[in-house]
Amino acid sequence: MLSRQAVAQEDTINRQPAIYFPQAPVPGEWRMSLGAVFTSTPPELTEEIRLALPAIDFNIQKGVSRQFFLTGRVQTQFLQSNLALGARWARPINNRWFVAVGDDFAGWFGTLQIKNVFDSEAYGLQNFPHASLGYRLTRELQISARAEAILDVYYRSAAGALVVETPGWRGNGFAFTFMLEQPFYKQQHVSIGLRAAYSRFNWQFWSLYSTFDRSLFYPQLLFNFIL
Amino acid sequence: MKRAWFYLLLGVVSTIALSCRTEYEAPVPYDFSDKPGSGRFTPAIRNTVNGVYAVSEGADRFGDQVALRWTYTHDGADTVHSLSIFSGVGAGFFSLEINQQADSLAVSGFWRKLVNEDTGLARFTLKAKRNGQLQPYTGQSLEGDTLVLDGYYDTGTGSPQQKMTLTYVRPLNPEPFEVIAHRGGGRTSDLLSASENSLRIIRLASRLGAHGVELDVQYTRDSVPVLYHDNKLNLRLVQKNGLSGTINQYTYQQLKTFVRLINGEEIPTLEQALQTIVENTALDFVWLDSKFDGPMARVQALQQRYNERARQAGRNVRIVIGLPSTEAIAAYQGLANKANTPILCELDTATTRGLGANIWAPRWTLGPQTEEVNAMKAEGRSVFVWTLDETQFIERFIGEGKFNGILSNYSPVVAYYHYTAQ
Repeated sequence: MLSRQAVAQEDTINRQPAIYFPQAPVPGEWRMSLGAVFTSTPPELTEEIRLALPAIDFNIQKGVSRQFFLTGRVQTQFLQSNLALGARWARPINNRWFVAVGDDFAGWFGTLQIKNVFDSEAYGLQNFPHASLGYRLTRELQISARAEAILDVYYRSAAGALVVETPGWRGNGFAFTFMLEQPFYKQQHVSIGLRAAYSRFNWQFWSLYSTFDRSLFYPQLLFNFIL
Repeated sequence: MKRAWFYLLLGVVSTIALSCRTEYEAPVPYDFSDKPGSGRFTPAIRNTVNGVYAVSEGADRFGDQVALRWTYTHDGADTVHSLSIFSGVGAGFFSLEINQQADSLAVSGFWRKLVNEDTGLARFTLKAKRNGQLQPYTGQSLEGDTLVLDGYYDTGTGSPQQKMTLTYVRPLNPEPFEVIAHRGGGRTSDLLSASENSLRIIRLASRLGAHGVELDVQYTRDSVPVLYHDNKLNLRLVQKNGLSGTINQYTYQQLKTFVRLINGEEIPTLEQALQTIVENTALDFVWLDSKFDGPMARVQALQQRYNERARQAGRNVRIVIGLPSTEAIAAYQGLANKANTPILCELDTATTRGLGANIWAPRWTLGPQTEEVNAMKAEGRSVFVWTLDETQFIERFIGEGKFNGILSNYSPVVAYYHYTAQ
């Protein structure tokens, strides 16, 4: 049960710059971050080659009400990009513990045109319902943990003129994210953490056309400057 | 203090993440006796059994139709026959041997799905359906009889309890087509019972639906051509042994002494592989992928020797050298005598024509390339596409009927769509 007193005191609870921490921005307030996400390649897919593919990572959030806020996220490597839009409901349990639930809907697109190698493109839709728990260690240091389900909604790929598609909702896997958000330099704050995804398909590896029907481990390192 | 918390958190999360990595297991729950002979399955009965069958029980796991095909391996004068079933669902297949203890036409073995860890035991008895009734098949058919494979399968190592019934529908698609298995038969990462590029996987390749195999050829330090895919010795392909580095850092004797592939096999020489293919298998096509630096003469010599041995043995086996890069083309062009050196070019059509290659092998990610394929075939060349594993694309590529063959890690899927095509 959430503490009534905590809810009543919600507006007086300290807010620190954060993107992952489960605390809504003040209604009307915008929050943004810009950084990178590094995704390691599973050995099952890339065999002896190990890459940590970097993608630009931009987050934006807007407070709608005291507990409800909208989110947007763009990840891009230029040849492949992912745009996610979502909503979150967050509230404090007390002045240290915070919780949130939300849902993100993502669309991704990738294309590879390399002479004599690739004439391929693909796009798809995915959904990520998630729940977060946050703990404020000190006034400025906050950690959060998020669990999310990964659902495939639609997949379409083309090789030359040949097209295949997989419509319909399907469980794809799950992910856990651990984030630390704290001051970095003067007024600058950062988000830094790890996301461990176990899924059958990861959009950044669409061009490998994996056929494994088993969950593979996709570790991600996330680093963002909170703007 | 903040920094300490951060490093503590990072360490805990990293430890959890790494320790949670799954080890996949799909042990084959059946030891083949590999007894020679065909028992009651005479050549006529084996030919009769080959075909497309409807699945009336077991369709939820294996789909509503399957393709059955007999194959064999030779050991000197002995021939071991086996029956494969290709399901098309999840790269599923059955590998069955003749049960010579049974007093009926019976086969036993295992099934696997290459896309995941599913596996189990299976056993079937061949029967005839006459006037709606199943009765033991003796090899004599009356008009109106229908062949039925009646049996059981199950998951894991348990005795098969789940009913499965296959009813003959039509013959296999007779159109010529090369089902070519990648890395000698399939990838180690697909949890096969034999390692990729090993002699054991080559002997299994036909059971997996392959007519031909692709082999990765590299040189040892003392210039022995051997089969190995990756650039370096690594735990993806070999058991832990303390060695690292590239294949050409070690002599063949060092590799033979200290290195074992994941399933315990030695790294084979190209000569051992070609000898196995020609003398022990039903395979009719070999694609030597040139992963070596340096002269091609040793590979060419083995190619010519074993093409000739196959011819002398009355086997129609084609051994071709694949040229995947400009370096490989330069090595080919550096040969003193290119006569009797069949090649396959993986680069563009102009390069293929310039080399006079009889086979063009484009990447499947370029799409069906219908105009180019038609042009190359009109010039008398064959076109094999690589390395295509995506089930829906395999179905489309075969359905369009333009290619002469597909190289795949999932030869059971290619075999299924080829044999069931109408």
